[in-house]
Amino acid sequence: MSEADRSRRVPLWLLWSVATILLWGTWGFVSKIASAGMDAYINQLLYTAGLLPLLVFVAYQVNRSGADKGRAHRGRGVFWAFLTGILGGVGNLAFFQALVTGGKASVVAPVTALFPMVTVLLALAFLRERLGKVQWAGLTLAFVAIYLLSA
Amino acid sequence: MHAWLIYAIVALVLWGVTGVTQKLSTNSISSERSFLWFCWAMVALSAAVLLGTRPDWHVGATVAVCSIAGGALNGLGAWTSFRALESGGKASIVISLISLYPLLTVLLAVLLLGERLTGMQLAGAMAAIVAAILLSLEPAPQG
Repeated sequence: MSEADRSRRVPLWLLWSVATILLWGTWGFVSKIASAGMDAYINQLLYTAGLLPLLVFVAYQVNRSGADKGRAHRGRGVFWAFLTGILGGVGNLAFFQALVTGGKASVVAPVTALFPMVTVLLALAFLRERLGKVQWAGLTLAFVAIYLLSA
Repeated sequence: MHAWLIYAIVALVLWGVTGVTQKLSTNSISSERSFLWFCWAMVALSAAVLLGTRPDWHVGATVAVCSIAGGALNGLGAWTSFRALESGGKASIVISLISLYPLLTVLLAVLLLGERLTGMQLAGAMAAIVAAILLSLEPAPQG
């Protein structure tokens, strides 16, 4: 172990990863509480209000860093990012509606977290990526999980 | 099939597609700019909701705070996940670690909301979390 490793025992990426678990894990929980008192449309509006401070911060950061300046295909990147937001947002509406219609947070959160199975299937079909044995096992287990949770 | 499960699967499919579109986006631009436009799309979607639907504005303070917090938590989570990937974490390890987030939701919902799971549901929830981790592990490079 080097001096640098010793001075920071916990790597930065691990801290950010744990922060992500805490933030997303709590998000499912507060969404369930919210779902008891509003429809999915109001939630979308208030959710976006909660996102605004971060939008302002990121806009400032992007502007200041000048990243992607003069980069080719920038418009293409923005197009896909915007589409990601629309699809993700409609996904959020469906996630919230699952909670409104009586889905338990403790079941809906694990089911919806299986979204990488779709990404993997699409990559397999359209991007011609190959799956390893572990991913095939994950895909199979994902179907088993949905079957068990639908019972 | 229960209505909630159908909605949950719709969310799963849409979020799964974003895994591909996000990759296509970050092939051309930085993850920060990509995230910024993701947020703008969220604003556009909200504008469409405001114009195209009649939301029921009768909401209590507690649920309103939870909903606003939901947007902040989910957005910040996306931002910290980019930070994790950019601060030297191996993508497959970072993403499989992050896949543990539903475990926290399960714990909070069971402990604080008093949700009860049947044996089948508990097995399913655990299988789902393990499956998400396995799916994010990259295959070993060929050769």
